[in-house]
Amino acid sequence: MNKIQRRDLNPNELTALAAELDAVRLKVKASLGERDAKHIRRMQQYVLASEISGRGLLMFGWGPLSFIAGVVSLAFSKILENMEVGHNVMHGQYDWMNDPSLNSQTYEWEIVCDGGHWRHSHNVEHHNHTNILGRDHDYGYGMLRLTDAQRWSPATFFQPFWYLLLALLFQWGVAVHDIKIGRYLKGRMGRAEFRERVQPFLRKAGRMLFKDYVLFPLLALWNAPRVLLGNLLANLIRNVWTNAIIFCGHFTRDAHVYMRDEVSDECRGAWYLRQIQGSSNLEGGRWFHLLTGHLSHQIEHHLFPDLPAPRYAEIAPEVRAICARFGIGYNSAGFFRQYFGVLGRIFRYALPPRSRPELMSA
Amino acid sequence: MLSILRSPLLHPLNERQAWSALLGALNPRWSLTEARAQVLSVVVETPTVSSFWLRPNGAFKGFKAGQHVLVGLELNGVREFRAFSFSSAPDADKSFRITVQRQPHGRVTAALHQLKPGDWVHLGQASGDYSPSSQTAPLLLIAAGSGITPMLGLLAQIARSGIDRDVVLLQCVRQRAGLIGDAELAARSASIPGLRRLLHVSEAQGRIDSGSLDTLVPDWQRRETLLCGPASFARSFERAFERRGLLGQLKIERFGSLLPTIDESAPVLPVVFTSSVQSFTAAAGQSLLAAAEAVGLQPRFGCRRGICKTCQCRKQSGIVKNLHTGEISGAGDEWISLCISTPLSRVEISA
Repeated sequence: MNKIQRRDLNPNELTALAAELDAVRLKVKASLGERDAKHIRRMQQYVLASEISGRGLLMFGWGPLSFIAGVVSLAFSKILENMEVGHNVMHGQYDWMNDPSLNSQTYEWEIVCDGGHWRHSHNVEHHNHTNILGRDHDYGYGMLRLTDAQRWSPATFFQPFWYLLLALLFQWGVAVHDIKIGRYLKGRMGRAEFRERVQPFLRKAGRMLFKDYVLFPLLALWNAPRVLLGNLLANLIRNVWTNAIIFCGHFTRDAHVYMRDEVSDECRGAWYLRQIQGSSNLEGGRWFHLLTGHLSHQIEHHLFPDLPAPRYAEIAPEVRAICARFGIGYNSAGFFRQYFGVLGRIFRYALPPRSRPELMSA
Repeated sequence: MLSILRSPLLHPLNERQAWSALLGALNPRWSLTEARAQVLSVVVETPTVSSFWLRPNGAFKGFKAGQHVLVGLELNGVREFRAFSFSSAPDADKSFRITVQRQPHGRVTAALHQLKPGDWVHLGQASGDYSPSSQTAPLLLIAAGSGITPMLGLLAQIARSGIDRDVVLLQCVRQRAGLIGDAELAARSASIPGLRRLLHVSEAQGRIDSGSLDTLVPDWQRRETLLCGPASFARSFERAFERRGLLGQLKIERFGSLLPTIDESAPVLPVVFTSSVQSFTAAAGQSLLAAAEAVGLQPRFGCRRGICKTCQCRKQSGIVKNLHTGEISGAGDEWISLCISTPLSRVEISA
């Protein structure tokens, strides 16, 4: 397998790249309408219908088959809500509809992570500073070493294990992300600010825990243990799936990293270029794309985070052609190939730079 | 009963937003949180004007005669609203009427004219303070064209109050065929003996202006006056009241011709935050965010490159250009990001 090399463009090329990508964006924006509105409302209906059927099967069903069906249905609901509805709505992809229930700044999603926290850590920080070490706090989530430019410590050696924990508890990782506990522990954040940051997390997490592990089990009366276990499994499935998809977005084998001094005077074309070279796509069918919230089109999503996600699939060939014209690598492959690349990186950089055998870097 | 349902003890089982979402999935028109209304009947007033009787849902909080309301429809996926005066008075059954003039290039008014009984529309809440300040003092109502609509509501209110009030209604229309509410007003004359109707048809009698007032309504200076009409029409009367120092007894409702136009030559353009009544100017090519910060305002912001939506505000009116893509916005209300928008006309923003 050939490695996709990072390419840097000269200022003229960067201006031309920005113009071509802006043209793609304008074309999509001009064609937004009924079709996009219908799509997101249909997705909301799927979310609701599968949540009702999932919770219903867990509460009122009996036997293992209805249990499995209930877990799958509820996990499906949570995944679709988090990925295709929540994440995308909170990016402002449907703000143009002027429907208050689909407004990016007020939408609250079905996960323990507070919406306001997410809008900041994801929309403001991650999408702006994508893959810049030290600025994009999503890069390795402060616990994984994925490139030699990151410092190695003895704890890094156990990072495959840390990663397993993160994947299983992913919604909690996301939920505490914007509190910035590390900054507080290092004394770089005052107590008052820390308390203010913790509050939305506690409120949201409390509500979600109450709903999944107290309210619905109690409503099921004697079926309480079954509902509790089912909800736990559904959350677990959602965590593992969303984690795998999200890690494929920027940590695949050929996804590039940027240093702070490289982007000090970055123009718009360079920002676009960084979004392309720091992201990677997954290939699959329509339902695969829906269940990833179209993060399978991570490159298109990072270029145009506020265009309705189903449009990414439509413009992907155009974006790919533009990349080819400028000689920029377009990082796209099937899920398993990309995810093995991610796991490879987690294992590979667990070792300190010198002790790692050179063979593995081939 | 309802108060028990709202008890915090039942939370989150009684979360309105959640139930509303559930109802909305079953039927997109149902909502517990958003005001909506169903069309009861449609009355054709003139070839370009129709009235709609609407029955609002429980989320609509009611209105007073003379107020106006935003009525919205979803057109090509976008919920679009226009403001209309209530042309009826509040009624026990909560239904109300709006009277809609179809605008020459108006997509929304054209779509409203397609409505049939049983259809649903989105509603805002009633707003405005357009009614006589006294219950009994003599009144002069001046209406131009579809400016008659709030007057219909106010007269219905007076008729219902049973007070025989001295009211002069001066109705100005271009042609007789454009006369709205003629039969209804004739009936009002029966229930309000003190109502005197004056009709001015400008095609036959020439353009009316404030000078005509002295002959038509010699005692106009001692009347509280409510006027509703196009901006230019209103301006001429406003001047007459201003000259006599009587502005205090004149209330105006203007419509039309407020559409902003692109002003290429202006070195700086005025920007108004309507919610905080703060205004400032922005230079050509300067982002609204930078311009606001330059005068010491502190709007919320995030990435400053137009992707995170933190600085997103609702533009009420005005035209802006996207500094990245050169895209020119519409003139009406829509979301804009302050960090990448520069004004091309006067801009009003509700933060």
